[in-house]
Amino acid sequence: MSCICFYLVLVVGLAAVASNPSPYYAALGLVMVAGVGCGVLVNYGGSFLSLVLFLIYLGGMLVVFAYSAALAAEPYPESWGSGPVMMYMVFYVLGVVMVSGMFWGEWYMVFWVPADEMGEFSMARGDVEGVALMYSFGGGMLLVGGWVLLLTLFVVLELVRGLGRGALRAV
Amino acid sequence: MTPAHFTFSSAFALGLMGLAFHRTHLLSALLSLEMMLTLFIALSLWTLQLNSTSFSTSPMLLLAFSACEASTGLALLVATARTHGTDRLQSLNLLQC
Amino acid sequence: MSPFILSILLLGLGLGTTITFASSHWLLAWMGLENNTLAIIPLMAQHHHPRAAEATTKYFLTQATAAAMLLFATTSNAWLSGQWHILQMNHPLPTTLITLALALKIGLAPMHAWLPEVLQGLNLTTGLILSTWQKLAPFALLLQVQQTNPALTIMLGITSMLIGGWAGLNQTQLRKILAYSSIAHLGWMLIVIQFSPSLALLTLLLYFIMTSSAFLSFKLNNTTNINSLATSWAKMPTLTSLAPLILLSLAGLPPLTGFMPKWLIIQELTKQGLAPTATLAALSALLSLYFYLRLAYAMTLTISPNNLTGTTPWRLPSNQLTLPLAASVTATNFLLPLSPPILSLLTP
Repeated sequence: MSCICFYLVLVVGLAAVASNPSPYYAALGLVMVAGVGCGVLVNYGGSFLSLVLFLIYLGGMLVVFAYSAALAAEPYPESWGSGPVMMYMVFYVLGVVMVSGMFWGEWYMVFWVPADEMGEFSMARGDVEGVALMYSFGGGMLLVGGWVLLLTLFVVLELVRGLGRGALRAV
Repeated sequence: MTPAHFTFSSAFALGLMGLAFHRTHLLSALLSLEMMLTLFIALSLWTLQLNSTSFSTSPMLLLAFSACEASTGLALLVATARTHGTDRLQSLNLLQC
Repeated sequence: MSPFILSILLLGLGLGTTITFASSHWLLAWMGLENNTLAIIPLMAQHHHPRAAEATTKYFLTQATAAAMLLFATTSNAWLSGQWHILQMNHPLPTTLITLALALKIGLAPMHAWLPEVLQGLNLTTGLILSTWQKLAPFALLLQVQQTNPALTIMLGITSMLIGGWAGLNQTQLRKILAYSSIAHLGWMLIVIQFSPSLALLTLLLYFIMTSSAFLSFKLNNTTNINSLATSWAKMPTLTSLAPLILLSLAGLPPLTGFMPKWLIIQELTKQGLAPTATLAALSALLSLYFYLRLAYAMTLTISPNNLTGTTPWRLPSNQLTLPLAASVTATNFLLPLSPPILSLLTP
């Protein structure tokens, strides 16, 4: 049952992000979605992936977003209480409810499948073993990931350099 | 359709609609682009549900790539804030015909 | 830009397309596309003026959205059918979504609106990369996807051809005209992609040749609008007399290379019993012909109404490399007699 609650909060959280509030509140909605997403993953038995989501996503990305929300600060922020945002939010949630009504008779529940049915033969959970494959079988993928991170470093450096006169200054 | 499939599909569609329809700030658009998070959840749930553990590398790679995308988007936010003086998307109107 | 960073970025551009070409798994193909998008972004914003920043932002937002849609469609496909292989797409919903996402990526109408604005903010070299190399990887994916809904690609193709012709009529900026020309040519490819993928590939390659000679000749002339095309006779007399041939080749007139893809596509469509579609395609080429002819008129067939201060800049040696331009102009004008060997080379 907790899984259903997590699903509901996930969808409502995304609707909260999508309904155009101020960036602070959108970031708050995203935090909520990420936290609930961790819960969903744990329900399915993916504890390591859930941990990765929690640490990397909440720890890394949203700190950066909070930092840059300061760059886009506005004096009168709009939260979900204000008119148009509330209207869009209600509109989106009603839309999701209607679409789910279309599928209402055809749900089939196959969740609660644990990730490690072969649990008695292995030391760790399934997703830990799977992620560890990145360092043996999936070495090429690891290289591609590392390469794109390096590339992004140069991309970001070039983008914010701005005619070579320092970082945060008007051109 | 399983509830999980419906959940991540509708969450992704909501993020896409938010990105497409109403954005005042570039930062809000970038936050809506973080609907990649639902794709992370979707990939992980596919792995866990089908018990194909060797595939659980893919959410990690997805996370790395979406981090790259997010950081590039933030760098663009800084760049446009410097050239246009604001991050409102309405001010990006120099190239319209 | 420092040459080291430039080399890393160019390596990223090449690697992204190569990864997408080499992949049979959707996730890897998506990685290649992302790599490609990330690598071109600093090249687009290299001059740091407001138009470049705006074009880069618009490009990034559309490409990131398209990539996310692509990955969502493939994940849905995996949930529905358990398949990640590119060639084994059976379910209609993900296939349609993937086609639309790739159409957004290469700028097909009705998802074309970003392309003219983005191209307008770039310099001509980056614009050339954007309209040739960046289209290769999404197009390779589009060729491999098994279309389940035959009406989709035909509708995309027809709307692209019509919009590419109509919207280009009102433009005076060369880069926007080239963007609409790109949309129209991509429409020609999409209309035939499900009947004969090799023909679509042939059209893409010939379009690359023709558009690179157009971009390179504008770059050599250092012009970005029709007005300043009119003084090109004083800068490059030979190129000025060749430019109408390039433009008419883009328009697809018979003795030139551009006629080959249009001819073969119309023939293929007629063979498939789609004579009305073929007629519509041929008529929409007339719309594009009008603005190509207007460019040719302003450049070659008339003399600038203004008095030029100097009529002999052609005496000054140019320091730009003209060998690629010479090769691509030759290919643009004289490849039509070679169409049987090219066709037999590409058709399996």
